[in-house]
Amino acid sequence: MKPAADVLVIGYGNTLRGDDGVGPRVAEAVEALHLPGVRTLVCQQLSPEHAAPIAQAQTVIFVDASVDAPREVQFRPLEPNDTTQLLAHAADPRTMLALSRDVFGHVPKAWWLTIPAIEMEFGEQLTPQAQRGLAEAVEKIQALCR
Amino acid sequence: MSKRIIIDPVTRIEGHAKISIHVDDAGNVTDAEFHVVEFRGFEKFCEGRPYTEMPGITQRICGICPVSHTLASAKAGDALMAVSIPPAADKLRRLMNLGQFIQSHALSFFHLSAPDFLLGWDTPPAQRNVFGLIAANKELARAGIRLRQFGQEIIEILGDKKIHPAWAVPGGVRSPLTAAGREKIRAWLPEAYATTQTAFDLWRKTMATHSREIETYGNFPSLFMALVSPNGTWEHHGGKLRFTDSRGGIVADQVDAKNYADYIGESVRSASYLKSPYYLPLGCPAGIYRVGPLARLNVCERMGVPKADAELKQFKQLGRGAVTASFLYHYARLIEILAGIEYVERYLDDPELSGDCLRADAGINSLRGVGVSEAPRGTLFHDYTVDRNGLLKKVNLIVATGQNNLAMNQTVAQIARHYIQGTEIPEPVLNRIEHGIRCFDPCLSCSTHAVGQMPLHLQLLGPDGTVLNEVTRG
Repeated sequence: MKPAADVLVIGYGNTLRGDDGVGPRVAEAVEALHLPGVRTLVCQQLSPEHAAPIAQAQTVIFVDASVDAPREVQFRPLEPNDTTQLLAHAADPRTMLALSRDVFGHVPKAWWLTIPAIEMEFGEQLTPQAQRGLAEAVEKIQALCR
Repeated sequence: MSKRIIIDPVTRIEGHAKISIHVDDAGNVTDAEFHVVEFRGFEKFCEGRPYTEMPGITQRICGICPVSHTLASAKAGDALMAVSIPPAADKLRRLMNLGQFIQSHALSFFHLSAPDFLLGWDTPPAQRNVFGLIAANKELARAGIRLRQFGQEIIEILGDKKIHPAWAVPGGVRSPLTAAGREKIRAWLPEAYATTQTAFDLWRKTMATHSREIETYGNFPSLFMALVSPNGTWEHHGGKLRFTDSRGGIVADQVDAKNYADYIGESVRSASYLKSPYYLPLGCPAGIYRVGPLARLNVCERMGVPKADAELKQFKQLGRGAVTASFLYHYARLIEILAGIEYVERYLDDPELSGDCLRADAGINSLRGVGVSEAPRGTLFHDYTVDRNGLLKKVNLIVATGQNNLAMNQTVAQIARHYIQGTEIPEPVLNRIEHGIRCFDPCLSCSTHAVGQMPLHLQLLGPDGTVLNEVTRG
């Protein structure tokens, strides 16, 4: 499968659950920048068919809210799981990379960008911390794409 | 003294739940309960919102079933406006719903359930999953992903967004299907048909080797409910409600959605946030009914498209009156995928689909509106009460997984009776219980608006609540 995009930014989370929606917001903000060679994908959760666009990219950045990580935006390289389990309708980024490898024969370079989430109750507003994380995440993506 | 076994959480379904199994002093299973432990609160959250926002809001209940909610919500909006939507809008909504059926059923069959059929109940969970499927049959796994992509692409082409298309609106839809979009969908059809054929081949082999599972995974008499057209043809978005019994007799027919409360009661159990609807005239639990693919195929007389009708004929031969084995939900799903592809092809050739009138315009003409649509997992109700300004005063959602709750309990109990002896819970038995739940492809995000995934926890409990055995996985 030939790469169709240099960079694919996947923002996932539920935009109706407060800070859980920060991933999709980051992807939307990146989309609005019209960066050359950059595509975005917004979804509530990762699922198997996302392996196809992942396999077509050279670099993939997964953007997610994080409740149990340190209180700062983290940008970490990702490798596919060696052995893994697709637990439900949803999957995690390492599982998606493994699917991309096993089904489509290509693993892109991948990053996991996580933003601290404070409130995840019903609501569409981000907390100030998540808003700051959003801005920082977009800057990190821009820097990577330069 | 009776005892109880609990499985918490259950894998490869959407949301978070656990299972309790009660056994008596002799070790015989007496009852089972499928608990949902996340709180929903979504209906309260929507109060005070304009009804026009609801298709956009409710589609965010769930990342798996957004189309189902947005369509049922738009239909509730149609009812509040008291309008008939333009024919092109109706067909476009149907096209999107078919895309939803195809993508959802493809995920359920190929990636959540096929690993069990192909790899066997004794295979450890670490291998009995989509990666095990890839190792065993890479082409099948890939074809399943592509079939799901096909369904998602229909949704994306119509709604311009894959996950939350704010496209269906009260009165119709926002935009037409472009000529380019039509041809893009058409180009997928040969591959979609071929993949479905492969799946039927696999399924026929599965049926030949799984007669015990067909007999014991939720095979019991119950009512069935689904939408049908006025002449009894399979429906997924229009039509009215029909209830049939396990002998295939019609119990109630052409029930208008707005009168659902005369036929459906909702019981709430203290151990679960999942409502347990039942057929009101028979009371609870005698009024247990099933919804979803198995029910739709039981209540309808024909699919209305030739290839799927040929399969329906074979399906109906598997029951005396109705097909009562929940394991055959999988077969019903495949038939619905095939019907979906055939209907998509038919709509692409339908000139009415290109009509330029897409949206009826009106204000509030009724203070209550009920929208009912078939989601892949079963009949979905959105019931809204508004004030004169269209602000929501009351919201009631009845989702498929809730309606199958009583049936899932019976399914777990039946499997447990056949496979559990004493207080031991061996791995293959856990796998079988999980699969019994998975036959219904429950979506607990829809039922409770849960966040996160579902590992597995089973407990065996005595009559006084004593935990006699406990297994946690995931």
